[in-house]
Amino acid sequence: MRVNVTRNLPRRWTRQISSWRHAIREKDSSVNAFVSISQPQKSSPEHFPLHNVAIAVKDMICTSDMPTTSSSAMLRDFTSPFDATVVSLLREAGADIVGKLNCDEFGMGSLNIHSVHGPVVNPFQSASSSVPWAEREKRSAGGSSGGSAASVAAGMCFAALSTDTGGSTRLPASYCGVVGLKPSYGLISRWGVISFADSLDCVGVMAEDVSATKRVFDILNTYDAKDPTSASPDARQLALKAAAEAWPSSALNDLRIGIPQEYFPLELSDEVLTPVRAAIEGLKARGATIVPVSLPSTPYALSAYYVISSAEASSNMARYDGVQYGLHVPLPPGTGLTNTATMYARTRSVGFGPEVQKRILLGTYALTADAFDNYFLQAQRIRRLIREDFNRVFRVPDVMSSSKTASSDGVDVLIHPSAIRTAPPLDAVDTDGLETYVQDVLTVPASLAGLPALSVPLKTNAHEWPVGVSVVGQWGCDDTVLQVGHFLESINK
Amino acid sequence: MLFPSCRPTSLARQFRRAFHDQRWPGWQVIIGIETHAQIKSRQKLFSDSLTSSLGEAPNIHVSPFDAAFPGTLPKLNQDCVDLALRTAIALNSDIQTRSSFDRKHYFYSDLPSGYQITQHYAPIALGGRLHIPSRESPIRIKQIQLEQDTAKSTFDPRTRTSNIDLNRAGTGLLEIVTEPDLRSPEEAGAYVRTLQAVLRAIVILPLTQIQGSLRCDVNVSINPVGQPPGTRCEIKNLNSIKFMQTAIIFEINRQRDLLSVEDAVVPQETRGFNQDTLETFKMRSKEEAPDYRYMPDPNLGVLFIAPERINSITQTMPELPWVTRIRLVQEYQLSEQDADILLNLDNGREDGGSALAYFDHLCEQGRKPRVVFNWMVHELLGRLHAARLTFADNPLSTSQLGELIDLVQSGAITGTSGKLLLREMLAESSPQTPTERARSLSLLIASTGELDIGELCAAAIAALPSEAEAFRNGHKNVLNKILGWVMKESRGRTDSKQVRERLISLLEKNGRE
Repeated sequence: MRVNVTRNLPRRWTRQISSWRHAIREKDSSVNAFVSISQPQKSSPEHFPLHNVAIAVKDMICTSDMPTTSSSAMLRDFTSPFDATVVSLLREAGADIVGKLNCDEFGMGSLNIHSVHGPVVNPFQSASSSVPWAEREKRSAGGSSGGSAASVAAGMCFAALSTDTGGSTRLPASYCGVVGLKPSYGLISRWGVISFADSLDCVGVMAEDVSATKRVFDILNTYDAKDPTSASPDARQLALKAAAEAWPSSALNDLRIGIPQEYFPLELSDEVLTPVRAAIEGLKARGATIVPVSLPSTPYALSAYYVISSAEASSNMARYDGVQYGLHVPLPPGTGLTNTATMYARTRSVGFGPEVQKRILLGTYALTADAFDNYFLQAQRIRRLIREDFNRVFRVPDVMSSSKTASSDGVDVLIHPSAIRTAPPLDAVDTDGLETYVQDVLTVPASLAGLPALSVPLKTNAHEWPVGVSVVGQWGCDDTVLQVGHFLESINK
Repeated sequence: MLFPSCRPTSLARQFRRAFHDQRWPGWQVIIGIETHAQIKSRQKLFSDSLTSSLGEAPNIHVSPFDAAFPGTLPKLNQDCVDLALRTAIALNSDIQTRSSFDRKHYFYSDLPSGYQITQHYAPIALGGRLHIPSRESPIRIKQIQLEQDTAKSTFDPRTRTSNIDLNRAGTGLLEIVTEPDLRSPEEAGAYVRTLQAVLRAIVILPLTQIQGSLRCDVNVSINPVGQPPGTRCEIKNLNSIKFMQTAIIFEINRQRDLLSVEDAVVPQETRGFNQDTLETFKMRSKEEAPDYRYMPDPNLGVLFIAPERINSITQTMPELPWVTRIRLVQEYQLSEQDADILLNLDNGREDGGSALAYFDHLCEQGRKPRVVFNWMVHELLGRLHAARLTFADNPLSTSQLGELIDLVQSGAITGTSGKLLLREMLAESSPQTPTERARSLSLLIASTGELDIGELCAAAIAALPSEAEAFRNGHKNVLNKILGWVMKESRGRTDSKQVRERLISLLEKNGRE
């Protein structure tokens, strides 16, 4: 346990809801993970699967009892009239939804600094530090689901819901030293999840360890008719069957792990590379087969991702116009009322932060008639190539594709670093440069392909900041990915 | 023959028509129409809120999706797809196995999400044709696509505020696009009228209103006969055939004036129509045309249409107007003119029936179509029209009108009495049957005094069971004894011939039971 703030807390399965809420009161002022805290609820009956479990939810997921701001001035006072399907499922399972979590505005960002609620501060503090906790070194929690990762890392909840469009769950999980799962696209309902880029958006789960993550994931992993992209029960069955056939023993010595060479770029820091190598060696020592693989389209993934996600974002952000709900900035007196564009422009200029505005402009351009073929369609082609790359290396066939080209000598999962570095200091982050985007190279391919990806914290020296390793599997093989996550955890011990 | 203009005869006819159109001699007019028809489905295209009709209170049929609340997602209403498929079948359009939805972006207060979901890149059906009266070659259909309707915004000049009503937001629309095959305002009118009849016959259009449920955008260009087509202008949002024809005529004359100057061109633009001045006006030039930034909708994916689905819809297709017309003329021996009158009658009965179904139902019971037509159209509809009502307001059921017709046809009441009875039935509804009503109005020829032949006969049969039995066993002479009983009871006030007939029919009927 590297996150020493949780060290003195009682073990989670004996914790009462009040102790989670106590931790929030005590710690959150110096983490800034929570943006709303719910009224304490009546405890659910003991036989409920999530009895006595405190779960916090990213502020892009709708709750009818608390505002859902997406960390945007645009929705600062917005409360949804309904609960997202994931929230309803958790409530039905007996969980206590303790609050809403800070994030980058509309999920756009990787440091959780683009938020109307202010940045999230990474709760990590090395065990040897003698500085009082509240005055620890201020580093980024990662983004966009920084509040989700930080709330779990600081022991303020059992698990947190996040979202992941291009790495928004895995990166903060890596920076904060917690487990973060981005499930296969379509397994968890997006009804009630505020859209950033619909074709990429997934609800993620974050928790202290893999079994806690799985416990929450299993509750949420169900078909929802309200989400047109929800995977059909048939597709789920097919994928389970394919996964079981490919790796029937679920044993390490039958596991084939691919190491994709493109995921070890020059920018990768030694503080990350060393523990990742050790983990791979550890798995190998316990019987796993390590196979070097290549995913040649990876270098194009980043540009394809930014075109597609920005295009969809520009479309999804169009609804925030100050007419039906959300922020409305009145025009100064004397402004002509004849041009409605003036009204939209004013509200949107004030309501959206710079990162969101940047992406809206990018996406708007990519969709213009002149640019569409060269950008949007081209990006869709690359997206297909990325998917084909993955299909070529996996042993499990892609049940969503008509051409089920799985190779028997393929791998069960891929393993690679979750981030190119550890959490950057908050006061020295490069907000405009390309560096923040280079990081995404490691996470966006799985998003473009809709694959399950799990970031698991690795064993590091006590004074070192957390490092995560990612496990990526074929579509629908979320259980395989979680199982490999367990193996990684056992090496840590 | 798909391209009528390729045929020399047809080309010649077009020349002749163009030359002979005294309104614009020497000019050929080319028109294409995009029609937006509101789909008569119970629920909206992508949400489960109900569709609304005119005159409902604003903002009562609105779900969070319709108001574009964050976190909502579309869910395709398969009923709307079925109605689109019906339309495609009726218009001989080629249904696409795979079609998809796209977002068309623009900012407007009546578009809460900032985009309209439509089928830009891959419509549900391509091609097709529609025959219109007074023209041999069909009008070619380019494509049929499903899309969302917008909300309605109205400006209140008194309070200087815009009001938005989301009832209509997200209702399903069918956009039906023609090739530029129309050659005159009259053909354009005939096309829309025919299309309207088709859509009504296959129950796509809402029952009552035309207003607002069918809107047209019309492309018009003119060129000197024999020369290539001119530059087109699009006139937006025409909501009646009359306005559409007026707008086209205005536009032809406007373009002709522009072209009267040597080397002049018609600038390509989008125009509106002012219903007060009956003139078109410039909305925007080609350069100002908005870029809608069409993007495939990332939520809706591909719409697959299986051949079995097309088959089952083909098999349950309601009768199309041109088939009905043939049936009316050939089976019912109506004149073509009378057939058209029936076909053009407005729908409007809530039970889903139409004027035609009403007529069919009356004829099915063995009545003469000619007679039914007279009573239904000349008498009933005549009365309704006199009261400024339409067939939609008809309060009479087919069994009521049918009984009235039977009373007259059987000679129980005279034709004049029948008209009087109809007037009474329309003036005031009553739980009485038409026969009972005729009796209380003393219109029945047989009803001298209070006597009811049927009752008397039934009483006689009940009073003389063995005689009745004997009659049924073939002793026909026994009838006289029963007849005598009736004559005695009625003290001679009944027509013996009528009583005899009624007795026989009652006895035979009872015997069968």
